[in-house]
Amino acid sequence: MKILSFLKPVPGKKTTIAVVLSSVLLTACAMSPTSPEGSEDVRTKLTELQQNPDMMTHARIELRDAEAAVQLAEQPLDSDEQALADYRLYMADRMVEIARAKGQTRLLEAEREQLGEQRDAARLAARTREADEAHADAESARSSQADAAALSAREAEELQRQIDDLEAEATERGLVLTLGDVLFASGSAEIQGGTNENLEKLVNFLEQYPDRQVLIEGHTDNVGSAMFNETLSRQRAESVRRFLTGRGIDGRRLTVSGFGFERPVASNDSATGRQQNRRVEVVIENRE
Amino acid sequence: MKTHMIRRAAERLGLFTTLFLATLTLVACASAPLPPTESLTMASDAIANAEQAEARRYAGAELEEANRHLAEAEKAVAAERMTEADRLAKQARVAAELAIARTEAAKAAAINREMGRGAEALDEEMQRQGDQQ
Repeated sequence: MKILSFLKPVPGKKTTIAVVLSSVLLTACAMSPTSPEGSEDVRTKLTELQQNPDMMTHARIELRDAEAAVQLAEQPLDSDEQALADYRLYMADRMVEIARAKGQTRLLEAEREQLGEQRDAARLAARTREADEAHADAESARSSQADAAALSAREAEELQRQIDDLEAEATERGLVLTLGDVLFASGSAEIQGGTNENLEKLVNFLEQYPDRQVLIEGHTDNVGSAMFNETLSRQRAESVRRFLTGRGIDGRRLTVSGFGFERPVASNDSATGRQQNRRVEVVIENRE
Repeated sequence: MKTHMIRRAAERLGLFTTLFLATLTLVACASAPLPPTESLTMASDAIANAEQAEARRYAGAELEEANRHLAEAEKAVAAERMTEADRLAKQARVAAELAIARTEAAKAAAINREMGRGAEALDEEMQRQGDQQ
């Protein structure tokens, strides 16, 4: 209350404010013109560097020192201190330039690391390419091997399937296919019915494996003379050969022999045994 | 008798005070014209460093400026203008430091150019190898 009453008699608040403001303005006006001549140029140069992010990154300390030097150079001085003003300006200017040069150096060094990385990357790319090529070579070699393996596996599988189909027996001599005596009428060398399922399979097989040599062996039971049986066995083997050549198998692949009753597979004492002995064996030689 | 002695003592004290003040003044006067040894040494060192860094080759003008400032500083010392000598020595030092900074920047730029060429050559080399294959 007392304070208020003390304030109250002051005439014209506006006057007070005006006075304060004008004194502030006067102070400001009084200060700015005494900043030494040339300091603005240095300030401009420094501001330019400070606005450059590269410079701020690589010359932070130097720019801070330069900032202090420029601020000192901007300090108002009396007109008789021109030498000091010049000195401060010189120092500020050189320190701004030092900041610039150091910033450039460090920027270049950073770029150099990048260049090094680029070069390493180029080297790495070359190495990778070489390695990739080597790898691809190895891979293709491996895959061709694998292919070959897969192929031969498939082939073997197919062969096995064919062999199974033929009902042939794998022996040391090769695949032995036994054509039973049902082929032939007793005492006859002619193939009955003109065709036979087993013979068809044999033709297919021989067509599929054209590099395999074939032995055609005729066998008989012990009924009749040895001479007769040998001739008969041979004739039966021959008729198989004829059948095969007639179906387009190269005759040079086919070797014919008649063994008569020399190589029985069963006892000739029983009819069943004799039937088993009357046969033509087709031996498909193992390829080597 | 007593008052006499007191006066004598006061006179002596006055004399001492005068002498003390005179000494102080003398010391102050003597210290003012001392050469700015530190600034001069630092300027010389900076110039030596700049020369070591091959500033003559990369920032000859700046090195020249530093040498000129140092020579002027030494002249100012001879003329006992110590404040001026100090400022000139400091200017010589900052000029030498600028010479070093610019030398290093120039060297760095040269190395980068060289590396750039090397990288290009390497790239080309690899390109060729790649084409051959």
